Amino acid sequence: MRVTITNLTFGYDYRTVLKDVSFKLNSGDFLAIVGNNGSGKSTLIKCILGINKIPPKRIYLDDVDITEFKNFKSIGYVPQKFDDFNYEFPITVNEILQVSRYNKISEDEKLELLDKIGILELQNENINSLSGGELQRVFIVRSLMNNPKLLILDEPTAGVDKSNVEGFYKTVNELNKEGITIMLITHNMDESKANFTHLLSIHNGEAVMKKSTRRDEK
Amino acid sequence: MMILASAEPFILALFEYSFLRYALLTGLIMGFITPLIGSFVVIRRLSFIADTLSHFSLAGLSIGLFLINIIGFTFISDPLYLAMIFSVIGALFIEILRGYYQNYKEISMPIVMSLGTALSALFISLSGGFNSSIYNYLFGSILTVGNDYLVVIVITAVILIFLVVVFYKEMVIISFDETYARLLGIKIGRFQLVSTLILGVVVSLSIATVGVLLVSSLMIIPVAAAMKVGKSFKNTIGISILFSEASVIGGLWLSYELDIASGATIVLLNLLILMLVGFFRRFFITKRLKKTQTEIVTTK
Repeated sequence: MRVTITNLTFGYDYRTVLKDVSFKLNSGDFLAIVGNNGSGKSTLIKCILGINKIPPKRIYLDDVDITEFKNFKSIGYVPQKFDDFNYEFPITVNEILQVSRYNKISEDEKLELLDKIGILELQNENINSLSGGELQRVFIVRSLMNNPKLLILDEPTAGVDKSNVEGFYKTVNELNKEGITIMLITHNMDESKANFTHLLSIHNGEAVMKKSTRRDEK
Repeated sequence: MMILASAEPFILALFEYSFLRYALLTGLIMGFITPLIGSFVVIRRLSFIADTLSHFSLAGLSIGLFLINIIGFTFISDPLYLAMIFSVIGALFIEILRGYYQNYKEISMPIVMSLGTALSALFISLSGGFNSSIYNYLFGSILTVGNDYLVVIVITAVILIFLVVVFYKEMVIISFDETYARLLGIKIGRFQLVSTLILGVVVSLSIATVGVLLVSSLMIIPVAAAMKVGKSFKNTIGISILFSEASVIGGLWLSYELDIASGATIVLLNLLILMLVGFFRRFFITKRLKKTQTEIVTTK
């Protein structure tokens, strides 16, 4: 999916969070977004997801103005925290995946996806019995169920133990190779094994985009 | 309140008295639909909504009693229908206020509840104060449920079950994760409005079974108990319905045999089940965990 952002300024009440942000991503690009807490990273994501309402001619997804964009189900999203998800009520991994899919994917494809992300054995487990890292991977599978063209990952390895981080980025890199545009919010660039093509640094709402050679080097 | 002298067993009395059969049928239907909708209410952390709507229904009931007994209006045969209309209006108020207070959505409930309680107090005093009708509405009068009211309950149950079956996927994803539901293109506002309106109708219908003050317990307690033992979402809803039906049948039977208030007995049985589930979890599951831990230590 192509993502074009033109002079986006956004704020809550009287506080401006994003100041005149502009950048462009082509299909298959991999963008890493870095910045301190409160710099505006999550606000930017919420604008792209259509959660924050913005005026026309600011964000285009596949050249369609976001105010007219309807196909949000082609965006896979893995949130940083699960505060919005009511995971204390009993529901199994299978059940949550069942209600989250929009495209009709076969049982085999679903099992393949679970296996790829390494949670095949968890499919009948209750969501509320999973660790933070396991829950994160369930959300990654969920975001991939609808064959996304854009995958947005908000600090996806925050609750994942070190041994799984490498495997996780290997999967993300493979998905990117398949042509999925990826936007990854991360705190620690040194730890990140992601083969990103662009780097967006946000500081106090102002964003600077740089091209990265990390993928080419690998 | 049971007014029968329990000369014959409950089962035989069921064959003899049609009002007992109506009561049991009403109880069984309500016992099925209240935890069904209650499960979605609990997930959305709106447990307080049933209480709010039942208090707003009471305003409808007291206005109805005032219109019938004091003004002499005859176009309303039963104030319970006015309670239903008020419950739906209360549900609409809640949705409007939830929109106004985006970050403090729960504020909507005490506001609507205060309005309902104030109107109730006003019209109860205008109708001459407390009487047996008000008492029945506060604590339930399942034995007085007639044919017409049972028809309304059946229609509501059919609509609710139909909606849950058809929109199961949407209802579950909205309840668990609103952000993701929005990404899937689900019209969250419309779904919430429809589900709150239906909730309003179900709450007002529950008044006949357990009364205004106990409605939320019928809707929430079986779900609270099932949450502790449920292995999946569907399994939890199934268990909550089972608990609810057991308390309805047991409550009606006990209230008949002991000649005590039926609504209160149903609710107390629900609470007993909740306590037993808590005990079961604490005793058996902790014991099993300890055993597993001991086995691990021994193996090491």
